Amino acid sequence: MPPSSSSPSYESHFEHSALFEFSTVINASLDLRFILGHILLTLMGKLLSSRALVALAHEDGRYRVEMTKGLPAGLEGNELMIKTLPSTVAHVGRMSEKRHPWIAYFAEHDLSILIPLVASKRQIGILAFSARQGGRGLTKQEETYLRSLASISASAIEKCHMIDELGLVNRKLDRKIQELNTLFEVGKEFGAVLDPDKLIRLLVFSLLGQVGVNRYLICLKEGSDMRIAASRIDGAAPQPELLAGLTRIHAGVHIDEMIVTGAIDPRPVLLALCLKVAVPMELQGQTRGVLLLGEKLNREPFTPADFEFLSALSSLAIIALENARLFQQAIEKQKMEDELAIAREIQKGLLPSILPALPGYELAAANFSSKQVGGDYYDAIPLDDHRLILAIGDVSGKGTPASLLMANIQATIRALVPLDLPLTDLTARVNNLMCPNTGGSRFVTFFWGCLDHARRTFTYVNAGHNHPYLLHADGTVDRLDKGGMILGVMETMVPYEEGAAELREGDVLVLFTDGVSEAMNAASEEYGEERLEAVIRKGAGWGAQGLIDIIHQDITAHAHGAPQSDDITMMVMRVTA
Amino acid sequence: MSEFTIAQREREAVHVLELKGYLDAHTAPKLEEAFQGLLKDQRFNIIVNCKDLSYISSAGLGVFMAYIEDVRKNNGDIKLSNMSTKVYNVFDLLGFPLLYEITPDEQDAYNKFGNALTRK
Repeated sequence: MPPSSSSPSYESHFEHSALFEFSTVINASLDLRFILGHILLTLMGKLLSSRALVALAHEDGRYRVEMTKGLPAGLEGNELMIKTLPSTVAHVGRMSEKRHPWIAYFAEHDLSILIPLVASKRQIGILAFSARQGGRGLTKQEETYLRSLASISASAIEKCHMIDELGLVNRKLDRKIQELNTLFEVGKEFGAVLDPDKLIRLLVFSLLGQVGVNRYLICLKEGSDMRIAASRIDGAAPQPELLAGLTRIHAGVHIDEMIVTGAIDPRPVLLALCLKVAVPMELQGQTRGVLLLGEKLNREPFTPADFEFLSALSSLAIIALENARLFQQAIEKQKMEDELAIAREIQKGLLPSILPALPGYELAAANFSSKQVGGDYYDAIPLDDHRLILAIGDVSGKGTPASLLMANIQATIRALVPLDLPLTDLTARVNNLMCPNTGGSRFVTFFWGCLDHARRTFTYVNAGHNHPYLLHADGTVDRLDKGGMILGVMETMVPYEEGAAELREGDVLVLFTDGVSEAMNAASEEYGEERLEAVIRKGAGWGAQGLIDIIHQDITAHAHGAPQSDDITMMVMRVTA
Repeated sequence: MSEFTIAQREREAVHVLELKGYLDAHTAPKLEEAFQGLLKDQRFNIIVNCKDLSYISSAGLGVFMAYIEDVRKNNGDIKLSNMSTKVYNVFDLLGFPLLYEITPDEQDAYNKFGNALTRK
């Protein structure tokens, strides 16, 4: 016998299939509004209610009205403070308003049946319905049925929430990936660009595009000041003193929350320019610049994730800028070295490349610079058919300043020699001409002599230079020390003295600078004049060039690879007949 | 090596930029140059047709941000059209649809300029 329509088992069968259908429908959708609508309508049908409302819990503990049926428009979005929901189906009329002040809202809208929505033991919302038509109360069985519907509804809503949340998480992840892509791409590009202006522009584009800001101020540290490298602000650029204090920032901050430690508080000015956050550009723990950014165009606040991204981006940028700076420096250094090499060529050109050939004499000279340009000088200038001026000099100091003075003395001597005045007078004149050029801080040791090869005499003036050796064929040695004060210190007050020597066949004259006698080995031992004299005696028979080679070899042997700080210059004259 | 080219054409008072290829940090200066040229020539009604744009990075988006204000200050606009889903997703992810008019087709963007043009 089939069950009659009124029998409990038939009703139960009907309710089960209705529950099943309800569950199928709301679980097939991920559209929260569709689900809520279906829940409200199904329960309204079941309860024969004409008004219904659903409010869902939000993270902050408030309940927001999500949807209403049969109620005046405008309730959706209303917020309710509900501390504790009833644990099961409840009637507003039987609840204490004192304990549940929020029920007033429902009473006001004539909603008397309340059904809590609970999923995973969490209260996620509340359904409210007007009293059923006819005023009949709910049977126990009906209540159970409502609870089942509510339970299925709660799971469906919960699922919707989770899907939404998943969507959000996915979007956050996508954004993170986008950020990483940006960092990766910018890093790659930064590595290939060495023009600081172009680097800054790339940084700006990445900021604007990724963070979505349109107001910015990028300042970079230059010495102890901050220089504005790029900006787009509404108003005058802040004063450098104001920005200088920003170097104390070591982490990204909201400007209004920035802690001010310096004398000047930059916040009012920066905030007036609508700048909201400051992010340091750090290199090895030092703030080398600061990014200041205005509000995002979508008006969302800056999140910790934004600060992370900005910090990574600014690190990449500052490293690239530093690389560009170092590269620029290397180029400039190279340029300077190239120029020095040219200067060296010019300076070499100031020394005689070919020494005059004299019958009965041999002449040789050599100059080994320790730096690219140096301050040693030697010269051999024919005066007429039987006289030749030999000169050697050493400018104090090294490098470019010394080489400039060396060029100066070379020009002075070349200009004065043709006057054919006594060497003592010429020396006094050279000194007076040099003095204004040295600035009093530099000087020149100088020796020169006039070889008269017809009369076989050598007259000379020694202005504070290392005493040259005149090694006679008979083994005696004269040190040529007559003269006067070094050049360039003060105007000539005491006339220079002239020395003179007779020359005979086999005599050897050796002029040298202190780079020879003071050549150092690794133990800082000087080569010394004793050893020089010994070598001169030993090598005197090898001709002028031969003797220079022997002395140079001996110095090299002494130095044993130790770098020489001074130029080495020698000139040798030998009387051959 | 990423390739990026810009073709330019006139549609009456609207200037159309057709982007092709990869718009990234490396190629962004090219787009910047194009915008600078348009601003110099006082052309403020701009459609950027992205039909052949295969990739855009943040630096590329940054160029749009850098010029939109100047263009709008002169009563013009930069409208974007014909984006692939992949390119649109990047715009969307960074919130650009709020700030820019993005239309499926160039004609739609052109029509949206319509009112502004007749007002002149």
